[in-house]
Amino acid sequence: MKEQLINFEKTFLVALELVKTSKELDDFEHRFLSRKGELAELMGQIKNLEGETRKEFGAAVNKLKSELTLKFKEAQSKLSPVKNENLISDLTLPGKKVDVGHLHPLTLVRREIEDLFTSLGFMILDGPELESDYYNFEALNVSKHHPARDMQDTFYVDKKNEDGDYDLLMRTQTSNAQVRALKKYGAPLKAIIPGRTFRNEATDARHEHTFYQLEGLMVGENINFAHLKSFCEIVGKKLYGPNTKLRMRPKFYPFVEPGSNGEYTCFLCAGKGCRVCKGSGWLEILGCGLIHPDVLRAGGVDPEKYSGFAFGFGLSRLVMLKYGIDDARLLMSGDKRFLEQF
Amino acid sequence: MLISYDWLNDFIKLPKTATPEEVASKFTKHTVEVEGLKKQDSQWPGVIVAKVLAVEPHPNADRLRVTQVDIKSEVLTIVCGAPNVAAGQLVAVATLGAVLPNGLEIKESSLRGVVSRGMICAEDELGLGDNHEGIMVLNKNAKIGEPLAKYLKLTDVVLEIDNKSLSNRSDLWGHYGLARELGVIYEAPLKDYSELLEPEIIEGEESLNVKVEDTRLCQRYLALAFGGVEVAESPQWLKDRLQAVGVRPINNIVDLTNYVMLETGQPLHAFDRALVDKITIRLAKKKEQLVLLDGQEKELDEEMLVITDGEQPIAVAGVMGGKDSGVSLTTNEIILEAANFEAVSIRKTAAKLGVRTEASMRFEKSLDPNLAEIALRRFYSLLKQIVPGVKVISKISDQRKFNLSVEPVSLSLDWINERAGQEIPATKVVSILERLGFSLTNDNGVLSVLIPSWRAAKDVRLKEDILEEILRFWGYDNLPSLAPMASLIPPIRLADLDLERKLEDFLSGSLNLTEVQNYSFVSHHHLKKLGLGESAYLKLANPLSDQYDYLRQNLAVNLLNNVRTNQFNFSRLAFFEIGRVYFDTPGIFDKAGDDNDRLPYQQKRLGLLLASKEDLDNFSVVKGWVESLFENLFGKNWEPEFVVPEDLSSYGDPSQTVRVRLNDRDLGMITVISASAAKEFGLKMKAVVAELSLVEIEALLAVCPVHKYQAPSKYPAVERDLAFVVSGGMLYNDLRKEIKKFNPLITAVELFDTYQGGQLGEDKKSLAFHLSYQAEDRTLRSEEVEEIQKELVKYLEEKFSAQIRNF
Repeated sequence: MKEQLINFEKTFLVALELVKTSKELDDFEHRFLSRKGELAELMGQIKNLEGETRKEFGAAVNKLKSELTLKFKEAQSKLSPVKNENLISDLTLPGKKVDVGHLHPLTLVRREIEDLFTSLGFMILDGPELESDYYNFEALNVSKHHPARDMQDTFYVDKKNEDGDYDLLMRTQTSNAQVRALKKYGAPLKAIIPGRTFRNEATDARHEHTFYQLEGLMVGENINFAHLKSFCEIVGKKLYGPNTKLRMRPKFYPFVEPGSNGEYTCFLCAGKGCRVCKGSGWLEILGCGLIHPDVLRAGGVDPEKYSGFAFGFGLSRLVMLKYGIDDARLLMSGDKRFLEQF
Repeated sequence: MLISYDWLNDFIKLPKTATPEEVASKFTKHTVEVEGLKKQDSQWPGVIVAKVLAVEPHPNADRLRVTQVDIKSEVLTIVCGAPNVAAGQLVAVATLGAVLPNGLEIKESSLRGVVSRGMICAEDELGLGDNHEGIMVLNKNAKIGEPLAKYLKLTDVVLEIDNKSLSNRSDLWGHYGLARELGVIYEAPLKDYSELLEPEIIEGEESLNVKVEDTRLCQRYLALAFGGVEVAESPQWLKDRLQAVGVRPINNIVDLTNYVMLETGQPLHAFDRALVDKITIRLAKKKEQLVLLDGQEKELDEEMLVITDGEQPIAVAGVMGGKDSGVSLTTNEIILEAANFEAVSIRKTAAKLGVRTEASMRFEKSLDPNLAEIALRRFYSLLKQIVPGVKVISKISDQRKFNLSVEPVSLSLDWINERAGQEIPATKVVSILERLGFSLTNDNGVLSVLIPSWRAAKDVRLKEDILEEILRFWGYDNLPSLAPMASLIPPIRLADLDLERKLEDFLSGSLNLTEVQNYSFVSHHHLKKLGLGESAYLKLANPLSDQYDYLRQNLAVNLLNNVRTNQFNFSRLAFFEIGRVYFDTPGIFDKAGDDNDRLPYQQKRLGLLLASKEDLDNFSVVKGWVESLFENLFGKNWEPEFVVPEDLSSYGDPSQTVRVRLNDRDLGMITVISASAAKEFGLKMKAVVAELSLVEIEALLAVCPVHKYQAPSKYPAVERDLAFVVSGGMLYNDLRKEIKKFNPLITAVELFDTYQGGQLGEDKKSLAFHLSYQAEDRTLRSEEVEEIQKELVKYLEEKFSAQIRNF
């Protein structure tokens, strides 16, 4: 019996030694290890034995089986590393696909600017999107009959006040939060207000009735135009890199005095002139100025004691410029083909 | 607005080195935006003087001629339809490749079998007038081959100014006002305009009958009659000036009113004296009609100011004159109107009539009432030049009711420097203001500044306004850039914005959702399809279209629309949106400072959407999102509960809708869109929407205690599996709650299997749990656990008729 086992082991190992191809390996496996193979036959003998012999032989066969199986596995792995080897061996195949989430490009750019201003000690504020005529216009020095209040520019809510006028509207600018912020927090104040704004204009590739703006203001003692300029530069450098230049020229906004615009050297052509800047080398981004004393007063701040600057820009436009988006409608389209690119 | 460089030079002596390009760029830097610059001598490129050598009839067309035309470099065959073409004429020829003002590009073409290589131009084709009677015939002294612009001595340069940048500056709507700005920019002498005015008007006998009924809308009305008027074509210099700035010459009188307007900014109007005996300025009556100068018939209303002859309207004040009372070739006496009308009324009238004219554009900017008199005197001095026989035949009628006396504004040089962030020399400050026409005194660094009427009328009132004048001419680009100093105080952070950011990060970063931004508006069509009545919704008074006419009250409608628009491109959509919804009930924001008057409620919400072609148990997935989100926000303090709601949304599947509760507050709902709503809305995907209130989440966060660390027990837990058979209507939530609170040694209850129907019977289900028993202070004995479990089974049997199920 013992001899039978020794012979079997010898035969097995010699035969295994001779295996050189995977075909031969298969044949070998069939001969020794299959259900009706030689090893199975050997083990089948156990059931014919009895008592102590059965116990001994059974243990020896089982021990031999695990040893030989191990040898076979070794040989197998030498010859053909693992099953399905032809799939794994191409390491250039793509990994398993995992769904990833995406933040909206407006969120991405908004956060960049929020982080910049938070680092400078600015608050981030928010204001109502459905706003009163008072905070959106009147408190900002936009008189009752200013063309900006025309029905064709502003979405009004169909709800008249006691005088029979529409006095609820979708805010046309984030500046609506200026007076609210001044009233609530007083001076000194440093804050930015990003948010959704609305204009009643037909949409096309360049116009969208719903878009985002970002407003910033700083109020304190002796805040001046040079301070405004430094902030305009900070914003430009953040957006378009450290070599960005700023250019300012007078522009009228009812809620600042003096009023200005702000242009940056075009990020694409660095001021040489290209398609993006329409050949001028400059991109008009900002509206800004020193806060009008009437606005400070409306916010309960004494313009003789405090002064301040304010600036604002179209966040949607920045997003479009940054990512080369050529159709304003994409931002609000909910089109996954667009959203999953960010 | 178009501005002639030559015209500006009538008033200002610029340095020799100044060029139109430089002037344009300086205007842009200091005053208004110049959008473009057009040199007249580069007008009509390719249009040159030519001589007609021969004219022959066209072989195949009676009305056409075939001409041979000498353009110096060659002789061209040109087919011409004009009846007046004749050999020997000098004419303007548009050569191949030329583009005419009307956009016509000249190409070689075959006209009825004859190849034509150019075009002989008529006046209208060149934008020089209305004449299309025949081709334009040039003087004998024209040189063959020279550009037409050169022949016409057109050497002016035209600046195109952005009207929007002029909206607050009524004083810049004429050449003289812009020349005044150049005077400051170049520190160059400005001609005194009073030198150009008729010094003294010797009045005639007649008293004009003028009555102003509405002195608020018409603060000043000057009228003066002239006799001996010969209406004729204007002299060339006058026509050239008008044409340079895009105004069509008509006749000498009309042209002159336009000329003075373009110079001073003050619109003038001339009536035919023979047709107008009496002038009354009043509001129009309802449905009054008037045929305007341009032939349009308009119906007026009671808000429009009109000029009448005492009975009928003869002009819409400040907008346009009437056809019947205007100057014609037979006119020999005129009444000249120089008036001041109220800006808002003019703007509204022009908008309502749909007639925006050069006059209305100026009046709506608020003109200086003094300008009316200046314009009248300028008109007279020019009229005398071009119509020598003219005579004033009436007294000057000057109806006026205005008060422009303004107090001087006081500001110190120190204040100017403080606001500038730099010291600006006092001499520079004084020079800027004086050149602009401000008069001032300097008392030890404190300036007392008197604002000129043409600025007081509209844009200058405060010391800040004066500061702007100083800074813009000093140059914004010349000011330094200085970082402000501020106290080191950490900014207040708003909890709702912090929460939003946290949500954005978790939803996109951990749950792998895509953020979407949808409109605040919804369509009533969409509401209807989802069975939502729009009556409670706030409506826009002036929506762009019926696609977006109501303010949304949920995020679901537009999220479902996202499914509709994306479903053909994707098999699965996982979106989130953070946005506002709007309700017709008072919210937290005040309307205008009064706490009792509040804006409609605007709640921020979080919307979650999962949609897929196959139903992959989306409901459970969204529930899992909500659970993990809450664990992220609240730690293990509270567990959400999902409750079957009493009232259902109109679009949700009643068997798959739950309200989400946390710490006894209702946060929102999760719902599977019902098959009928999906069909109605056109959804090809199975969609689940969750909507949660950020206000509620924020409120819970504010009171949520910090989750304290709990050390794992040193003693092993005993695990037991238990399955209960309960009635089909029994909720997992209720069963679990009872097990959990049954004994403090039960530390975890986790569902691992559910089974319904089959051998259990129709109305039964089985819920199988892993139970963990664990004590803090000892190793539990098996008997102890068995004891508790026995009691638990008994308790549940009594309470819910729950039967233990044997595996």
